[in-house]
Amino acid sequence: MDPLLMIGSIAVAGVLIGGGVHFLPVGGAPAAIATATGVGTGTAMLAAGSAMTGLITAAAMTGSPLWLILASGAVGSMLMIGVTMMVGNWVYVFGVGTVPASAKVETDPITKYNQEKYVSPGTEGHGIPTVCFISGIIGGLLGGMGGGLAYWAVYESLVTLPAYAPLLSGNTSVAAAMVAGSFALGLFFINSVIASYNIGGTIEGFHDPKFKRIPKGIVACLLASIVTGLIGVLLLKGGVF
Amino acid sequence: MSVAAGGGGESAIDPKKTAALGIIGGFLGIYLTPINPTIGPLLAALGAVCAIMWGSDAIARVASYGLGTGVPSIGYMSLAVGVVGTLAGLAGGVMMGSAYVMLAPVLSVVLAVILGGVVALIGKKVIGMKIPVLVTGTMELTGAAALSILGFSAAIAGSYTMSAILQSVVVTGFIGLLFIMNTMAIQHPFNACLGPQENRVRTLKLAASTGFISMSIVGLLAMGSSSAWWVISIIGALAWFITFRMFLQASKDEAASVAWSGLWPKEEEH
Repeated sequence: MDPLLMIGSIAVAGVLIGGGVHFLPVGGAPAAIATATGVGTGTAMLAAGSAMTGLITAAAMTGSPLWLILASGAVGSMLMIGVTMMVGNWVYVFGVGTVPASAKVETDPITKYNQEKYVSPGTEGHGIPTVCFISGIIGGLLGGMGGGLAYWAVYESLVTLPAYAPLLSGNTSVAAAMVAGSFALGLFFINSVIASYNIGGTIEGFHDPKFKRIPKGIVACLLASIVTGLIGVLLLKGGVF
Repeated sequence: MSVAAGGGGESAIDPKKTAALGIIGGFLGIYLTPINPTIGPLLAALGAVCAIMWGSDAIARVASYGLGTGVPSIGYMSLAVGVVGTLAGLAGGVMMGSAYVMLAPVLSVVLAVILGGVVALIGKKVIGMKIPVLVTGTMELTGAAALSILGFSAAIAGSYTMSAILQSVVVTGFIGLLFIMNTMAIQHPFNACLGPQENRVRTLKLAASTGFISMSIVGLLAMGSSSAWWVISIIGALAWFITFRMFLQASKDEAASVAWSGLWPKEEEH
């Protein structure tokens, strides 16, 4: 593959990942004690779970057409983030004993249910209400597609090199898949942390006022991904040994 | 997540000293890997422990301003940059020809430092983060991350060339384990010790213990590729025991009081 096309794919992948992170209901430490809406952990941890699952499902489709790899990565990430949010909600509802509610909006934009009455005094909401869940699934979709795209671009570039050629024609090259997977995982973490700096740690989803910061986050992720892609070209140019 | 109180106060340890320990120790360990099949990998693993201590000090200096995203996030980011830089640098060393394989580890660290600097500059200029030491701190941190990945990879592979590391670290999938394990080793010490009474000497004692316990795991990973795996593992485990005792002792000395809670009191004692 042309190195410029690879850099372009990595830049698009970085934007998808960075944009996807803005959709995740990241609650941080306040959510861990059920005083804020969202999953009670940081962006990096949520991204780690969904990124790794998405990359594994994307890598399982190695050699398939691009759309199938993207779809597979997206489904893997969506499943993982969905399971995380659902099990988190079980803990908030049955363990802590709170009603999933958000203090950022008066009514849930999707179900139109009233939120205000259910928010415990002194907190900013708790649990993962419907709108946050849908938003998180969208985040998983974008992030998984981004991870799959980066994996595909690096794998397809590497596999043409003699050093990474598959042992049997038609098979997948394990070395190329592992290098591409490590690279895509690195890209995922870089962009998810930049996005999390942009949202200042916590966000509820697309209904959160902080979501308006997304253009700045996308510019930042684009720049970082282009530089990462430039460094990634060394993998192709130096892969022959 | 939490606000790391302390506001970037003066460190008890000169940052130049930990940087020197990380850079000199790390590179020395990596470059001495080929001297002997037993001692070489051991030195590489010890070099990685030095790099982990440097990284822990760097993360403490950056994160004491309060990132708003928690200490682990910058740790993950730095190791991501470290892995990308390491892979690209090792492959780039091959590109320049076999005579330049010697340069590959330096190139890896330089690439990681550049990428780390770019990410920090984006954080400062585009996103508008207000941490004065963000750029230099992130550059140090990503350099330490790349050195720790390189050191442990060289310890497993028994060599710092791309082909050896590709076969015994990347293809086997250990690179993913090193990614998360080194993140934990670098970010955990400050994440555990942060607060107004943070004492950098105590934090670094914990950093040494997390580094050495990672080293003993790296010894186990090297079982398939190196005859010296048990040396790395046993020395790592012994050093972990000593450094963790030192950390525990320091924590007890600095605590106002140490009391064991014991069991719940019996009903009639109320």
